[in-house]
Amino acid sequence: MSVELPDTTGVVEQSPEELADLLGELVIGRDDHLNAPGFVIKPDTVVDALSRLRDKAGFDHLSCVTAQEYEDRYESIYHLTKFADRTQEVSIVVPADKENPVSQSANEVFRTADWHEREAYDLVGIEYEGHPDLRRILLPDTWQGHPLGLDYDQDQPQVVPLREHKNPLLEDQQAPGESETMYLNIGPHHPATHGVLHVKAVLDGEQVVDLEPDIGYLHRCEEQMCQSSTYRYQIMPYPDRWDYISAGLLNEWAYARAAEDMADIEVPEYAQVIRTMGAELCRMAAHFLALGTFALDIYGDFTAIFMYSIRDREKVQNILEDLTGQRLMFNYFRLGGVVWDLPEPREDFFEMTRDFLDELPAALEEYHDMITSNEILQMRTINTGVLPKEVAKSYGATGPVARGSGIDYDLRRDDPYGYYDKLDWEVAVEDGCDNYSRLLVRMREVEQSARIVEQCIDLLEDWPEDERNIQANVPRTIKPDDDTEIYRAVEGAKGELGIYMRADGTEKPARFKIRSPCFSNLQTLPEMSNGEYVPDAIASLGSLDIVLGEVDR
Amino acid sequence: MAGLLQGEVMLPERIADILGLGGPIGELIAALIAAFIVGNIMLAMTGVAGPWAKRKITAAFTDRYAVDRIGPFGLLTIVTDSVRLLSKELIIPSGADRPSYDIAPIILPASALLGFAVIPMGSGIQLADPEAGLALVFAFASIASVSLVMGGYASNNKYSLMGGLRAVAQNIAYEIPLIVTAMSVVIFAGSLQMSTIVAEQSATLISLGGISIPAWYAFVNPFAFVLFLAANMAEIGRNPFDIPEAPTEIVGGYQTEYSSVYFVLFYLGEFLHVFLGGAIMATIFLGGPAGPVLPGFVWFVIKIWAFFLFTQWARSALPRVRIDQLIEIGWKGMLVLSFANLVLTAIIVGVIA
Repeated sequence: MSVELPDTTGVVEQSPEELADLLGELVIGRDDHLNAPGFVIKPDTVVDALSRLRDKAGFDHLSCVTAQEYEDRYESIYHLTKFADRTQEVSIVVPADKENPVSQSANEVFRTADWHEREAYDLVGIEYEGHPDLRRILLPDTWQGHPLGLDYDQDQPQVVPLREHKNPLLEDQQAPGESETMYLNIGPHHPATHGVLHVKAVLDGEQVVDLEPDIGYLHRCEEQMCQSSTYRYQIMPYPDRWDYISAGLLNEWAYARAAEDMADIEVPEYAQVIRTMGAELCRMAAHFLALGTFALDIYGDFTAIFMYSIRDREKVQNILEDLTGQRLMFNYFRLGGVVWDLPEPREDFFEMTRDFLDELPAALEEYHDMITSNEILQMRTINTGVLPKEVAKSYGATGPVARGSGIDYDLRRDDPYGYYDKLDWEVAVEDGCDNYSRLLVRMREVEQSARIVEQCIDLLEDWPEDERNIQANVPRTIKPDDDTEIYRAVEGAKGELGIYMRADGTEKPARFKIRSPCFSNLQTLPEMSNGEYVPDAIASLGSLDIVLGEVDR
Repeated sequence: MAGLLQGEVMLPERIADILGLGGPIGELIAALIAAFIVGNIMLAMTGVAGPWAKRKITAAFTDRYAVDRIGPFGLLTIVTDSVRLLSKELIIPSGADRPSYDIAPIILPASALLGFAVIPMGSGIQLADPEAGLALVFAFASIASVSLVMGGYASNNKYSLMGGLRAVAQNIAYEIPLIVTAMSVVIFAGSLQMSTIVAEQSATLISLGGISIPAWYAFVNPFAFVLFLAANMAEIGRNPFDIPEAPTEIVGGYQTEYSSVYFVLFYLGEFLHVFLGGAIMATIFLGGPAGPVLPGFVWFVIKIWAFFLFTQWARSALPRVRIDQLIEIGWKGMLVLSFANLVLTAIIVGVIA
C-alpha cells in the first residue's frame, strides 16, 4: 500500500562530480547547500551553464531564483531540478560585483527567469544583462532603493509627487498610425481578477493581442518580516498569510520542512500523520474555492455551484477549526511537530471527518453533473487557455496548472515528505493543456485528498495511546551554523511552494526567500491568452487559481 | 372570426365611456389615463420582480436564503430598496457625452413600455389594436439596442463601449431569427393584428376526454416556439446570452458607469424588456390572455411571470456563451432554422388551407 512511483526510466542521475565535469571550465568554486550541490560560476556564463544543465543533464525546471547581498558581493542563486525526478537538485551560484552588480539573465534558457530576475532586481538590486524587460515588479516604479539590500535606509521617505508617479491612464493612447487596437486596464478592481491584480491588456476588438499582469498591490514584505523573526516561533504565523485561501497548513509545512531540515529536527511519525491529514484538508478547501470561483467566472453569476462549493469548503473549515482552533490563520505547525493533539473527544472529531468524507463522493458527482458534463461549459473551456507542456515547463508552472498540461509532477510523491509515501493515492494528471483539464485536475485531486485523509484517520484512530507524540524535543532557540543554506519545497495548493533560507549563526535567517507557485503560474497567463477572446482570458486567469497574497507576498 | 373581435372595445374608449369624456380632447385624456394604468401595471410588476422576486427565485435555485428581514416574506424590501437606489449619488464620468448619456437610460424603459400598448392583456386591457400590431411591437422592442449602444458609447468607458458593441452585434444576430420565426405564426393567423392572432388561437386543436386543448401556436408548432424562446432570450440579453453585461468579463458592460436614478432606469428597462418578451411569447404562442376559470388578465400575468421565472432559471443554471459562439449560433444556426421553419409552415399552411 503506497503511492505509485513516477516513471523515472530514462532519467539519468548525476553525481556532483559528473555535474562538475559537465560544467567544466565554467565552475570557479563550490558552495554546496544542504540539499543540493552548489557550483559557483562567473556572472557572464549563466546562460551557458544553465543550458548545459538543461540540455545535457535534464535539469529542466528552474524552480527559483534567489538573490541576496553579502558584505563583499551580490549573489544570485538558480535552484534547478528536474520535472522527471524532483529529488535531484543543483544550485548555480552567481556572484556579482559589489559596486556594479551585473549578472547575465537566464531568461533565454528558462522563461520563468523573467519575473524572478525582475523581483531580484526590484528587491535586492542586481542588474540582469540581456533581460528583455528589467523593471520593478513588486514595488512601484518610483520606489527609491532596493529594500533587501544591506545599505537600504528604511526611514528614507518614499513619498513621490503625483506627477512622477506613473499614471496607468497615460499609456492609454494608441500608437500613431495603428488604430486597430485598444488598451484596456483589467483590474486592480475587477470582479474576475480574484484580488488586486492589474492586467494590462491590448485588445483587437474582442480578441487579446497582448496581456501583461501587473502585480505587487498586495506586497507586504513577507520575506523581510520573516528575516527579522526567529526560527523557533516567530516565523510560523506568516505562511498562513501567503496563500490565505484555506491553504494555511500547506504553507506552514513549507517553512516547517525547510527549517526542520536545516536544524536537523526529526518529526515524530504521529505528528507527520496529523500534518498530512491537516494539509490535505486544506488542499480540499482550497480546491473547492477554486472550483466555485472558476464556475463563477464562466457562468457569470452566483449559481448553485458556487454555493455548493462554499458549503463543502465550510465543512472542511469546520473540521480544520476543530483541529487547529482557527478558521483562517491556523498557526498549527511547530518545528518538530504540531502545536496540539487532535481535539477531545477524539471519536467526535473522527466521526465528523468521516461524515464529511462519506458525503463527498455524492457531492463530487453533483459537481460533475453540474459543471464538467455541461455542454456549454465544455464549449467554453475545452481548447481555450492552452498551455503546452514544454511552455509550462519553461515557465516553471507547477501544481494543478502543470498537471493540467500533462506534466506528471507532484512533490508529495516525487520528493516525499510527511506521511505521503506510505499512503495509497494517485497523482491526477490530464493531457488537455486547457482550462477544462485544469478544472478536472482539481476535482480529481479533491478525490485523492479525501483518500489520503481517510487513511490518516484510520491510522490516527488505531495509533497506540502511549506513542501519541506530537512534538519532537526541539531547543528553545535554534541557531543553525553560519552560512548554512537550504532550498526546500512542498506541494502547496497551487503548486511548488519553496523556501530558501540562509543562516548566519543567529536565531534569525539572514535571507528568507519564498518561491511562490502562483507567482510562476501567473507568468503563463500571456502565453495562454494572447490571441484568444476576452472571456477566455478571464477563464484562463480563473483556471490558474492565483491568490494575490501569495503572488505578491 | 377575426371580424367578430374587431369590434372589441379598447381600454381608452371604455374609460372615455365611464368618465363621460367626449371629443378629441376627451379622447386624448382617456387615452392618457389608459396608458397611465397600463404603464403602472407593468412598472409595478417590475418593482416586484427586480428587488424581490429575482432575489427570491435565484436564492431558491442556488440553495440559499434571500431577502426575508423586512415585511412578510421580505416584501417591504421593495420599498427600502427603492429608497436606497434613488438616494444614491449620481456620478457622471468626466468626458461623458452628455445628452446621449442622459437620454440612454430613458429610452430603454420607454421602448419597452411602448411595446405594451398593443399587447392584449385580457379583461379588456389593451390600449390599441392596429393592423400591424406584431410588427409594431417588434419595432418598439428593438429600439432597446439604440439605448444600449448610446449608453455604452456615451459613458466614455471602454468596458461600456465593449458592452454596447456586443449588444448591437447580438441584437442584429437575433432579431432576424426572432422575427422570421414570428412570421410563421403570422402565416397561421393570417394577420399581424394582435387580437386576431389571439382569437385564432382560441379554436380547439383536439379534444381529449372532454377537455379541449386550444390551438395555441406553441402546441401547433412547438418547434417555432422553442426557436422563438431561444432567440427571445438573446434578444432581451438574459443568460446564457447576457453577453452585453457579462459582469465577470466587462464589469456590467453598458451600465458600468451608471449610478443612482440612471441605473434604476436601466435596471427597470431590462426587466420591462423581459416582461415584454414574455408578453410577446404569451400573445403569439400561448393564446394571449386565454385560460380556464380565472379572468384573462390573471392568466396573462401568470404567463409573463412564467417566462420571467424561466429567464431566472436559465440564469441560475447555464454558463454564459462566448461572444463569437453567440454570433455563430445566431447566424449559422438560428437563422437557418428559422427560415426552414418559415418555409415549412408556409408549405403546410398552403397545402392544408
